Formats: sequence, structure tokens, C-alpha cells
Amino acid sequence: MISRKPHVIGKPFPLIEAQRKLTGVTCYAGDEKINPDMLHARILFSERPRARFWLRNLDAARNHPGVVALLTGRDVDGRMGHTVADRKLLAVDEALYAGQPLAVIAAETPEIAAEALALIQVDYEDLPATLSIEESLSPGAPAVHPDFMSYRGAEKLNAEPERNIAHALTFVRGDVDQGFAEADVILERTYTAAHLQHAPMETHGGVAQRQPDGSVTMWMHVQAPFLQRSIIAGALGMSPEKIRIITGCVGGSFGGKVFVSIEALLAAIALHTDGRPVRLLLTREEEFKGVFMAPAMRAHIKMGAKQDGRITAIEATYDWDVGASVDAAIFHLQAVTLAGTGPYAIPNVSVRTNAVYTNLLPAAPLRGLGVAQVHWAIEQHVAELAEILNMTALNLRQWNLVKGGDHLFPNFVMHASGLESCGVLAVDAIGWRPETPRPAEENAADASVRPGVGRGMALGWSPIILSDQCGSSVTIRFDRERLCDVVVDGVDIGQGLYAFVTQVISFELNIPVEWITVEPTDTANYAPDWEASYHNLLWSMGHALLRATGEMKKQILSYVAKVWGEPISNLDIVDGEVVSYASRRKLPLLSLLEEGMGEEKSPPSFSVTATYRPSNVDGSIDSLLQSFASTAYAAEVQVNPETGDLTILQLAAAADVGHALNPESVRAQIKGAMIQSVSFTLLEEMVFENGVPISTDFMKYPIATTADMPLQLHPIVVEVPQRSGPYGARDLSHHVQVGAAPAIANAIYRAVGVRIRDLPITAQRIYDALQEKRARESAVR
Amino acid sequence: MKHEIRFIINGESRSLTVLSQQTLLEVLREDLGLTSPKHGCSTGECGACSVLLNGEVVNSCMVLAAEVDGADILTVEGLATDDELHPLQKSFIDHHGVQCGYCASGMLISAKALLNRTSRPHEEEIREALVGNLCRCGAYADIIKSIQVASRARR
Ligand code: FES
Ligand code: FES
Repeated sequence: MISRKPHVIGKPFPLIEAQRKLTGVTCYAGDEKINPDMLHARILFSERPRARFWLRNLDAARNHPGVVALLTGRDVDGRMGHTVADRKLLAVDEALYAGQPLAVIAAETPEIAAEALALIQVDYEDLPATLSIEESLSPGAPAVHPDFMSYRGAEKLNAEPERNIAHALTFVRGDVDQGFAEADVILERTYTAAHLQHAPMETHGGVAQRQPDGSVTMWMHVQAPFLQRSIIAGALGMSPEKIRIITGCVGGSFGGKVFVSIEALLAAIALHTDGRPVRLLLTREEEFKGVFMAPAMRAHIKMGAKQDGRITAIEATYDWDVGASVDAAIFHLQAVTLAGTGPYAIPNVSVRTNAVYTNLLPAAPLRGLGVAQVHWAIEQHVAELAEILNMTALNLRQWNLVKGGDHLFPNFVMHASGLESCGVLAVDAIGWRPETPRPAEENAADASVRPGVGRGMALGWSPIILSDQCGSSVTIRFDRERLCDVVVDGVDIGQGLYAFVTQVISFELNIPVEWITVEPTDTANYAPDWEASYHNLLWSMGHALLRATGEMKKQILSYVAKVWGEPISNLDIVDGEVVSYASRRKLPLLSLLEEGMGEEKSPPSFSVTATYRPSNVDGSIDSLLQSFASTAYAAEVQVNPETGDLTILQLAAAADVGHALNPESVRAQIKGAMIQSVSFTLLEEMVFENGVPISTDFMKYPIATTADMPLQLHPIVVEVPQRSGPYGARDLSHHVQVGAAPAIANAIYRAVGVRIRDLPITAQRIYDALQEKRARESAVR
Repeated sequence: MKHEIRFIINGESRSLTVLSQQTLLEVLREDLGLTSPKHGCSTGECGACSVLLNGEVVNSCMVLAAEVDGADILTVEGLATDDELHPLQKSFIDHHGVQCGYCASGMLISAKALLNRTSRPHEEEIREALVGNLCRCGAYADIIKSIQVASRARR
């Protein structure tokens, strides 16, 4: 199964961690430090969206036998946030949203913690709240954060706190008024997408322990331990070296375990106990209502085009309901602004994106950073525009598509990409041949398929932006005890990072994969101010790995070259042996490490650390933008016109990954993203009642099961090399979902003639749209 | 209330004192250190805690430990024998039936139960057998393939 030979990039490579996962050995959050002596933490969450509150009976809870510590906002008054400290560790007097932590308890058993929690009585007095984008932006709405400007980091954002705008970004090119004046047709529409949940199978949690020196060590399975270290330190008023986070594999994150939610509370309570480890594991209900959701979107798109199909102008506003906290604002809005036109080179552009505060659970972007929602709007809009222009959507797209060489942003010229190939291959895969343009029918019901069946497609393009202020670092040690021991600052969240690291080292050093061990990520291995990248790791980690392995190879070869008295250029490593092409000498690396060589009999050890940090960091719109990743989706659906029930007969997704370093793993990732996209598109919606989440389990917030899978899946790998990427590769985890939802919506339109502009596409929504269409048609008759 | 129970776990006989309200999941994980069954919901909705109880798949979060007196239980720790992986485990590795891996134990257990009943299940039967096992990474297609290949290999 695992070859003894060095790995070859681009050839199948089974995930190293897979065997551990499949034998139950991999340690997740709930498996950490299980020990009968440890303490158990529970959190009391607010049950009102915005209210003054009083905690009664605290003494009874504190004195409950077995309770070791109880903290309220009066005991620890810290603020936290990634960009702006807009969240309190624990609310004091006023709760801003349902799900905000009010108190935290540590006790001898989980049962005692729960009992003590139940002893606390919370009295609320409701305050005016705003619960949607519309409400927040309407004049006279209560400000969610009236004191915003006093928060740490407020100056970093382009905020209008009195209007509930936490951050806003605009991008303008050309002159949109001029563009609309030139247009023959103008189409304006509004699209929405619901709040979602990341819903990893592993809920948030971990273990924290106070150390004798007053520091705290945390075993937390999170996506961004370095970022969390600095946020937690900021919240607790400690220096970052006093917080150590050790992590391992993560049981799913999808963006939900990037920013700090309950982790800082766990650190705080651990600091107030007797030094025993404290465990906090959220229940599924708490996971739904007490950590993060993903932002909802409202998009307003206005597009103008000439009769010949040239799009002359776009004016787009994307509003994001980020709840009561805006951790990811800068990053999230940059991504959706850059993607805001969709993959079209339009001469006159005005894109505005707003992060809007509401009194709802804080939102953290889901995998894809909102770019999928942007395409939900754009790719339906383009299809509708084509219909009005009496041309095929495919032709309209081709007319206006971004091409290599287009100077899109001040410092960014579009590179060669597989955008067009993705489109062609996806459409092809479902057996759709729309190449003969039959303008009118093409957009109406599809004559070549059965009634109620329709096909649709959508393109996608996503900016690959590196994490703000962050880099990747790798240390490789080569010695007799550990052979090749590797320390990295990135986390394996299921994307196969550790396998990637192993693969590159095996390939570059030309050594067997069995020699390589990747250590769990530990912030203690790095300087206290080090900020590690937490996404698009193929890019940053890939570059760091190439530097580290290059340096390591040089160290080893120069050591041997010196003893052999040959120039280093004669030497190479082949299958784990140092060889000289000139003298034909050979030396197995293992014997070098075991016995040493030459005069000096003590065996050598080698160590290299290399880092990669993006250089293009400034305030501009295309700062940190590395490239655009293209995708296309094509769907064939069947709609029951009586009930609105939908079946996805076929779904194809093509993704341009630049170079598939591990092809089967890439295909697996694409398939996973396809199923997740179906889930987001058809099933998922975070529902609130008066600001209180009522989707708090998998019955009320269903996610896709095997019963919801499309009948046929066609994953397609497209490889147009990214010259600046490691081995010509591009990250794929964010962009593989982009285009799924609008492809399905476009297919529904072609099946039964109704457009659904609100996500998720439920059977009820299709049914209602069909009813409305029938009513309209009979009124005309 | 305390209960004395005796049962076979992964082929070994064990006796244990458990409390009335303790679930089988809790006892397996916290008392016996068998952490392959995972906590995903504790309400019977996700299948991450699946184990075989007398050959049937159960959500161990929904079974009281006191009730398993005399039962025969299998977890993923008991799948591999004599340093050799079970064909299902091998197949999951070879065919990418695992991403983040949190659902993997539950998937293996459901698959094992299915293969005990049906030696060569159709795709449709596999889908049905896995309906109670959620995978947020969406790895279903490769999980199904892994099970199919494993069932063929056994012939
Ligand atoms: S934990 Fe038992 S079914 Fe989810
Ligand atoms: S592999 Fe992540 S939940 Fe299934």
C-alpha cells in the first residue's frame, strides 16, 4: 500500500493519517487527556437577543458541592476579537445576542457542573434589538455597538457604527452611469442566502490546564491555533507566551474553528482552578446556538448589456449579516469584493460590500468565504440576462469572460486559467451539448429531456488570498533518533495537510515516506508573535516546504561532499542514498545518521527551519491576492411540478487546481465539496424565532445524508498550472463549492420555468414559485 | 444507582460497575478508554457513536450501560486482528473513504453490520445502511466505494 520508495509528485499517495483515523487512534478534542481527576466546565448562555440581565443565586451555584470555580463578567472583564475587540469574554449587565456566554463553571463532574448551572436564575429585561440586515440598515435602528469606536482595533475597519455597518469595502472601475447609458438592456434583481452553520461533526471543545508558572496549556483542536493564542491572550490581558495551544487533527472546521468562541472562557476558568486539567466539550445544541454561524447575504445586482451580448456595467451591493461580532471582516469582504463581478471582465464596475451588525449569533465565514453566495446571485443573473437578450447563457458568458492578461485590479493581471475548460467539461460530463445555439428554446424548457427535467450550469472564480499578517513555517530535523522529524505551524483539518507535508519532503529529499513523522502543531515551537497561515496552506506551506527541503538537501550534501572531497555539484540523494555521479560512491543516509563518516565518527544531525510570508501586504484591494481559482458546475435536475420536490439526477464539478499533487485526494475533496454544496443549497438554513436560534439539532438543521446524494457525481480535475504556486498547484478547499447553487437553480428554471432567488432552495419555495407562476399565467389568459 | 455488569467487548470479557444514567458511549470512552466511538450529538442523530451490540448497529449514546449486561460489543478498536487491518479499514484507506475522520468509526461499524447481513451489497443498499451516519465532509461517495470494493475483495 505505502511504497518504500520516495514519493513522486502527481502520483497516488494514501493519506498517512488515514490509517490512524480508521483504527480509532487519532486524537480529537473529546479524546484529549481523559482522566478521572479532571474538572468539567459548562457555560451559561444568554437566551435573549438583547437584554439587560441579572444573575441570581450565584452563591448557591458557587457553594454547590463539587463546584470548583464560577466566573461571571464581573470576575473577568475582557474583550476579544480578531480585528476589532467587539465581543466580551462574558457579558456584563447587557447581553447582545442569544447564545452569548454569561457565566462559566468548573466542577468535579459534568453532572455537577450542569446542576450548578441550573441553580443560577437569569432575569432578563428585553431591550430593542435588530434581527436582520433590513432592520439594521433602516433609519433609526438601534445600534448594536454604540461604543464601537472605543474598541481595540476599531480604527482598522471602515465602520459606521451608528448605521450598524461594521466594515465596508468598495471597488470601482470605469464609470457605471456611462455603462448603463450605453446598455440596451438593464436587469436588476435581489438575491438572498440564509445563515448557515459550519456544523463540524466534532463539536468545539478541548482541555486547558493552569501551569505552576501561571501560564495555561490548552489542547484544542482548532484551525488557527496561533491566531487563537493571540486573541485569547488579548482577552485575558496576558502575554501570548503564557498561552500554549497544542493541536492535532481537527474533526471538521469549515471556518468555524478559526476564530475564538468558547476557547478563551476555557482558558479563563482553568486559570481560576487548582491546576487540574479542565475539559469543556460542547453539546450539539450548544454547538448550534453558542459558537458561530456563517453570515447571511442579501445581494442587489444591476447589470446592463448591449444587444450583442457585451455587458457594459455592473452595480452590485452585497450585504452580510455578521451577527453581533465581526471577526473576519477584512478578509471576508476582501474576498467577496474581488469576486463581486463574477468571472466577467466588465468595463464599468461598482461593487460595494457591507458587513452588517445584528443582534444575532456572531458569524464566521464558512468555507468559500462568501464567494459561493456571490455566485448564487451573479450566475443566475447572467442566465436571466441572456434570456432577455435572446441568446444562450453560454454565449453571453463566453463573450464577457475574464481572460489571461486582463488587468483586473491595480496590482493584479489575470493569469492563464482553466475557467473556460471547466465550463465545457462540466457541461459535457452531464451529457449536455448546448453548442448549437437555439436561442429561444435554449433558455426555456429543454426539449431534449423529459418534462420536469432541466439542466443548468454556472461558472465560479474565487480569489486565493493568503491569511492577513500570516506565514507558514516548517522545521525539518534529520537525526538518528527520529530520522526525519517535521514540525509545522499548520493544522490538518481533514484536507490532508500532514500527508501533503510528507509527500513534498519525500519527493524533494528523495527519501521513503516511512522515515517522516509530522508532529502535532504546538504554538510553543514558535515565537510568541508568530502568526501562522490557517488557510490556503498549499500555497504558503508549499513554499515554506520547498525552501526547507532545498536547504536540508544542501546541508546533507555539503557534509558528505566535504568528507568525500568532491564538489557538491557531483552529489545527489537518490532513494535515500547520497550518490556521487562522478566517483560513483554511494552512502545510505541511514548509515550516515547511524555511524557518521570519515574522521569524525560522531554521527551528524541536521536541522532546517524555513518560513514563507507573502510580500504583497498593503492596504490595497488586491493585497495578498495570489491568484484566482476557477470552477464550473453543471446540474441535471428533476422537479415534481405538483409538489416542488427536487431530485438531482447528475451533478458535475470541474475545478482548476493548477496541478493535482495527489490526484485521488483532489477528486475526493471535490466530491466532498459537491455533497456539502448540495446540502447548503437544498437543506440548510439557520432559523431564528425572535432572535433565538431554533435550529439546534440535526432534525431542525438537517445536513446531507447518503439519501440526499445526487444520483450521479462527476468530479473533474482541470490542470492549468499556476506559475507562482508550488509545483504549479493552487489551493482548492475554498473554491470547489463555488457555482453549485446557481447551477442547480438554473437547472430548475429550465425544468419548470421558475427562478428561486433565495437560498436554500426548498421544495416549499419551488412549490410556491410554481403556484405563483400558474396564477400569473391564468391571469394572462 | 450502581449496577454490576459483565459483557464481552472486542472479544474480551469485562465486568464493571456503572451508574443507572450512564450511557454505553460514556462508559466505553471514559471508563474503558475506547475512544473510537465519537460524541457527535448524544441524541441519536449522527451515528458517530455507532457500535455493534450483539451484531446490530446501535447508537451507543442512546443505550444505557446498565442494559448491556451479557452483551457482545464490537468497536473499531476490535476490527483489526493480529496486526492486520480489517478489509474495510484497508479499503477506506485506499479509496479515500476518510477526510477529517470524525465519522469514520461509525461508518466502519455500519459497514461491518451491512456486510455481516449481505455479502455483496448494491450501491443502493449501502446508501440505505449509512443513512444514520452523518459525514459533514461529504465523503459519502468514497465511503460507499470503499465498502463496495471491500465486499468484493472478501469473495
Ligand atoms: S452521538 Fe450518538 S448518534 Fe450522535
Ligand atoms: S470525514 Fe469528516 S465527518 Fe466524515
